[in-house]
Amino acid sequence: MKEVIAIVRMNMMNQTKEALTEAGIAAFFAHEAQGRGKGFANPQVLQGAREGYEEAAALLGSKGQLYPKRMLTAVVKDNQVKEVVQTIIAANRTGKPGDGKIFVVPLTDAVRVRTAEKGAKAIA
Amino acid sequence: MLIMIRSIVRPEKVDNVLAALMEAGFPAVTKYAVAGRGKQRGIKIGEVTYDEIPKVMLLSVINEADKDFFIDTVMKVARSKGKGAFGDGKIFVSPVEESHTISSGVKETAYAAEGVAA
Repeated sequence: MKEVIAIVRMNMMNQTKEALTEAGIAAFFAHEAQGRGKGFANPQVLQGAREGYEEAAALLGSKGQLYPKRMLTAVVKDNQVKEVVQTIIAANRTGKPGDGKIFVVPLTDAVRVRTAEKGAKAIA
Repeated sequence: MLIMIRSIVRPEKVDNVLAALMEAGFPAVTKYAVAGRGKQRGIKIGEVTYDEIPKVMLLSVINEADKDFFIDTVMKVARSKGKGAFGDGKIFVSPVEESHTISSGVKETAYAAEGVAA
């Protein structure tokens, strides 16, 4: 059982929903979030800042603008993860920075409140 | 290995935490508003008990090697002056198996791929 957390552009929600439904993953929940990414920062500068070089930290500045995003979470079986990820990527990809991120997080159990079913049955 | 860090902090501290994270080299953060209570069962002011206290959740996925530095950075800023106070928040750490960047399609399972995605 895996939790797939995707952070996507707000205006992509409808087509993401459609794509997921077509792929047979109808169940997910979503909420609004705000976020910033790596932006256009140079990875070496980031690494430098983490190691404590003040010059690198100064280059990054202290203001990162937060952009409105949608965060959607789907709990799926292990063998569906690849399909969900591919579906979300295909629906959301414009190729520009800011398209979002997808994280796959392990889950140990799930319970359906209505019937108290556990595990794979609860998310089937 | 990648880990997800979810920090629940006071709404008034968020700007400071975000600035501190940027300075520490962790620009990528997602924030959303949440409401909750802790083991003090909310706040009791006079006769009224508030058990849904507004907080802000900050979500970051980072390399495991940076974990302690990241947590220190958040903790230093999010803690109330002096010894801290109830309600300063919590930080949760959980494993992440994969991270995909949608714009480039890069799949990260380890720190080495980060340079490509940036």
